[in-house]
Amino acid sequence: MNIQKKTLQRRGFLRGVLAAAVLVPVAGSLASCAGGGGGAPAASTAAGPVSDTNPFGMADNSTIDAVIFKGGYGIDYVEFAGKLLEKNHAGTTAKIAPSTAIAQELQSRFVGGNPPDLIDNSGEGAMGFSAILDQLEDLTSVLDAKNLEGTVIKDTLYAGVEAPGTFGGKLAAVNYALTIYALWYSASLFQDNGWTVPKTWDEALALGAKAKAKDKYLFVWGKEAATYYQTLALGSAIKEGGDEVRLAVDNLKDKCWSHPAIQSVFSAMEKAVKAGYFKPGGSGTKFTAAQAQWSNDEAALLYPSGSWIENEMKDQTKPGFKMTGAPEFTVTSASKMPYEAMHSAAGEPYIVPSKGKNVAGGKELLRTMLSKDAATNFAKTKLAPSIVKGTVPADGFGSTALVSQTKLLDAAGSNIFTWGFVDLYGMNKDQLVLWNTFLDGKSDAAALTSGLQKITDDVRNDSSVTKIEVK
Amino acid sequence: MIDLSSQVRPESGKTAALRSRRKKLTFDKVSFMVVFLGLPLAVYAIFVISPFVQAAYYSMTDWSGFSANMNFIGVENYVKLFHNATFMKALGNNIILVIVLPIVTIILSLILATLVTVGGSSRGQIKGLKNSSFYRVVSFFPYVIPAIIIGIMWTQIYDPSNGLVNGILTGMGFDGFKSFPWLGDERTAMIATMFVIVWGFIGFYMVLFVAAIKGIPAELFEAARIDGAGRVRTMVSITIPLIRDNIQTAYVYMGILALDAFVYMQVMNSGGGPNNSTLVMSQQLFSTAFTKNQFGYSSAMGVVLAAVTLAFSGLVFLVNRLTGGKDERR
Repeated sequence: MNIQKKTLQRRGFLRGVLAAAVLVPVAGSLASCAGGGGGAPAASTAAGPVSDTNPFGMADNSTIDAVIFKGGYGIDYVEFAGKLLEKNHAGTTAKIAPSTAIAQELQSRFVGGNPPDLIDNSGEGAMGFSAILDQLEDLTSVLDAKNLEGTVIKDTLYAGVEAPGTFGGKLAAVNYALTIYALWYSASLFQDNGWTVPKTWDEALALGAKAKAKDKYLFVWGKEAATYYQTLALGSAIKEGGDEVRLAVDNLKDKCWSHPAIQSVFSAMEKAVKAGYFKPGGSGTKFTAAQAQWSNDEAALLYPSGSWIENEMKDQTKPGFKMTGAPEFTVTSASKMPYEAMHSAAGEPYIVPSKGKNVAGGKELLRTMLSKDAATNFAKTKLAPSIVKGTVPADGFGSTALVSQTKLLDAAGSNIFTWGFVDLYGMNKDQLVLWNTFLDGKSDAAALTSGLQKITDDVRNDSSVTKIEVK
Repeated sequence: MIDLSSQVRPESGKTAALRSRRKKLTFDKVSFMVVFLGLPLAVYAIFVISPFVQAAYYSMTDWSGFSANMNFIGVENYVKLFHNATFMKALGNNIILVIVLPIVTIILSLILATLVTVGGSSRGQIKGLKNSSFYRVVSFFPYVIPAIIIGIMWTQIYDPSNGLVNGILTGMGFDGFKSFPWLGDERTAMIATMFVIVWGFIGFYMVLFVAAIKGIPAELFEAARIDGAGRVRTMVSITIPLIRDNIQTAYVYMGILALDAFVYMQVMNSGGGPNNSTLVMSQQLFSTAFTKNQFGYSSAMGVVLAAVTLAFSGLVFLVNRLTGGKDERR
């Protein structure tokens, strides 16, 4: 019958496709069209005169092409800066486009040699820096330039904000939004129960027992955000053991996870898990639902997170919650860094690709964003500080979390640290699995340590991954 | 290609074509070939074959994905791939899916299809259960919902603290299920996820089989009934052999879906589930490419995925033939 014959042809065809898929790489050079094109750099727009109001020599009447990650912060704060720029440089157009998947959208433009002039390389689909580092401008010139008010930009920023954007001595990204990593709690709930915020892991375990008496838990976690506890553990361990801990994990050192400071934190966490201070079921709970159990149901007392948490949970926070941040615990009171030291990293990395058509324009837009007006607008509309100092008034625009952030940063002074290896080498996904199992009580500190060490070792031993040394 | 049409002279075209129909290319013939053969072929070559070929080439490079530079490294990626425990775990999960999903879905939808077409009263005409058209519509509902919504919805239903499943179970007195993480426990995550996929596809395959069964002449069923065959016997001896080709097609489609399964897995357990128990190859491919920037390596994963898919469909055809699927040649 016809149909039978057709199946045979189909099979033959499938076989042919399979054969083609296997054989063709021999003639591979023919196939390299997606990767092969775009060798010549795009002609940069002719430079304009360099002056204090135009420090990068942006050409007159040029167009700036910016692609901004549209996440929690939206893109309107960049549009605000764009309008400001268009006002300062009549005839210039700032084209600001949103994107929710930066890597997928811009990959082909990087390969083709026509990337945008300014990119907010953020979000789940951000491009890994190790892959694009050699195609980015060094942005030191932007920080050395004067802002719109005439002050050198470098002098207007918080301490340590260059660190997360510096790779092997090159300032490849300027991170715009300032994030602090802290333990968040409800000041009103703590006050009503007469609890104090624990400063060490022992105090935390004691608080866990008190919470249990009230049928509450110390911590809650969600499956996509189990590694928030890794962030907490590393923050604690770095305060306890000092910079050597940070350098060991950041440089993927052999046996770095067995450092005594990290191990003491892990064993404290294991105690908390075994004692049932973590709300069970987290490995099957969506992280926003888990966070709502903390901010809305008050089923858990503390939640370790970045300062975006207030904005993220805005609609699911109990009235009168008074969200406040506290520094991550130390292990002992004799830690190498003071309790007040903060894990703070600027987020939303802005990059300027060297092959962009209007590199000077990209830098100029970034310079405008770092002006007082644009930075204040950001703090006001997003309830989050940018890296520019002094943009948050004493009342924090009515946000307790924003006020506490500013206080914590002031108290920390220059004791600010961060690390980058997790994002740099894309380890989060593999680490999540281990942390979910650990927090679920299905493994122990030893298994967690060896698992994390294996992830680190695999990256270190993979010769195809470019390593970036941290100092 | 279009230029060929200029050879045709309108005034003499008709007579010329009549004289030597076999030799000359008429406008008719050429345009037919261009539109129905050339165009699809070009589309197929550009959008299907060429990406395949390119992926195969990239799988032998160390391409990072963001520059035009890459080095040819031969089969190194493949060697690395087969030593990668996580990928092998994902491959294993895909194999579990490809074995379980089609069988469960097809058996269930076949039973339902039989019920609504020939499973009704054993008196009078051959017909389905009472109100069968209603059931048919209802069971098709899940297929109308996009996969991503199905995933989000079931994540809520499985939620350990506020989910419907645990609510019902604890309400019935099973206190062990308080806060039980269906999608977060290694023992249940895969089963819970597979249940959702089956739930989403039963309706579709039921409709497919209903159409096939309706194509069988009713006399055959009547004859079987007169011979004393019960419903199960009718299904096994009459229905299944006669819609064998449909079942085979359904099996291949469902199997290909199981080899992908990306949407469901990504929505319900974007990280691969507890101990990677629901991780599938396509998820691993995606994260290797876009979060680890190893496009060459992930292309190798893609090639393996394609090879496994082709091997699977080949296997299904082979099994069908060996078990007598080709005996019906009349």
